Amino acid sequence: MITCELFRSRFTPGTDDVEVLEHLRACENCFAFAAQADADMLFRGIGGGEMIPPGGVDAFVSDVMREVHLRSTEKIASHPKFGWARRLAVAATLAAAVAGTLYYPRQQRVTPVQTTASVQPATSAMTRPVIEKYDSDTATIVEMPTEGAEDVKVVMIFDERLPADL
Amino acid sequence: MTRRIALSLFLALAMCGAAFADDAAKGLSVRPFQFKHKEADKAAVIIKSLLSSEGTMNIQPATNTLVVTDRAENLKTIAAALAQYDGEPVAIQLSVRLVSAGRVEGAARVPEELKDVAAKLRMLQYNSLENLGSANIDTREGQPGMVELEHGYRADFKIGEYDPVTKSVQVIDFKLSRAQKDQLAEVLKTTLNLRIGVTHILAATRAAGSDRAVMLVMTAKR
Repeated sequence: MITCELFRSRFTPGTDDVEVLEHLRACENCFAFAAQADADMLFRGIGGGEMIPPGGVDAFVSDVMREVHLRSTEKIASHPKFGWARRLAVAATLAAAVAGTLYYPRQQRVTPVQTTASVQPATSAMTRPVIEKYDSDTATIVEMPTEGAEDVKVVMIFDERLPADL
Repeated sequence: MTRRIALSLFLALAMCGAAFADDAAKGLSVRPFQFKHKEADKAAVIIKSLLSSEGTMNIQPATNTLVVTDRAENLKTIAAALAQYDGEPVAIQLSVRLVSAGRVEGAARVPEELKDVAAKLRMLQYNSLENLGSANIDTREGQPGMVELEHGYRADFKIGEYDPVTKSVQVIDFKLSRAQKDQLAEVLKTTLNLRIGVTHILAATRAAGSDRAVMLVMTAKR
């Protein structure tokens, strides 16, 4: 095997010199020296100069893709289309839908107040105001206090939208 | 697989059956009430306090019907209350007076026909009153009404329901209008609750310090 001095004098990036490559595989210091000058020396040094697989790259890729397809097919074939969990989920959904459809009208009956929300309860009429509704957003309505239930009731309406010549 | 499907079907049927059997298990009965004179939604308010904790009701506006679900003994009480509620429309006599009010210097001017309410009107700081017309209308619940008054004023309204609890009647959409250049201009529009036999004074003005006001003196009687 050649010496380190001879190696470094004969070494050039991309060299195929058999003695140089032999020294490269044996000497760590010279390997580091060569890697700084030519990173590809790492592969050539370990005999990896020829990276083309047997039969060519296309054949290699085809083999890999065929394996991938085979694994995918095996996975699908190993699981049935409708498992028991999926069937149970479908049945539960159907049951919930049927039960919900039948139960919905009952829910409507439970909440009759929704259709009568604008109507005041009869009991609240005890305190029902003289003016229940007035068609103006800007009006101020003041109901004067009375001395008794049979006393004259006076209500003042202050509304800037009223005509000026009342 | 067949066993699983059968089990799922059984569970579904069990849920549906439980929903149907619920009312029967509680001993509830269903009864519809169709109204001739009153509105079903207002009847629902009347009987709300009569329902038991399990009782429910459903309003069908298209047929003016109230469908009540409750215990049989409770339905009897509800039926009696609704029969009384859906009675013949109550006759109402409505008196309307329109008064123009102003603030003037000097002695107060109060016409003879307004003496009965003059003391109350003075409270409002108006010392000059003018009677713009009056009308007495014989009507009944649910009936529309119209009053032509002097100085081009006119009142349109609808008599609502008489409430025996408060002894009051509702006057719905009372609209006071005034003729202006061959057209009716709306002055005010309101819905009122008038206690039977009690005089009500509505004084409308633009602001608290305004010198002019229009007053409606209204009384409803049975």
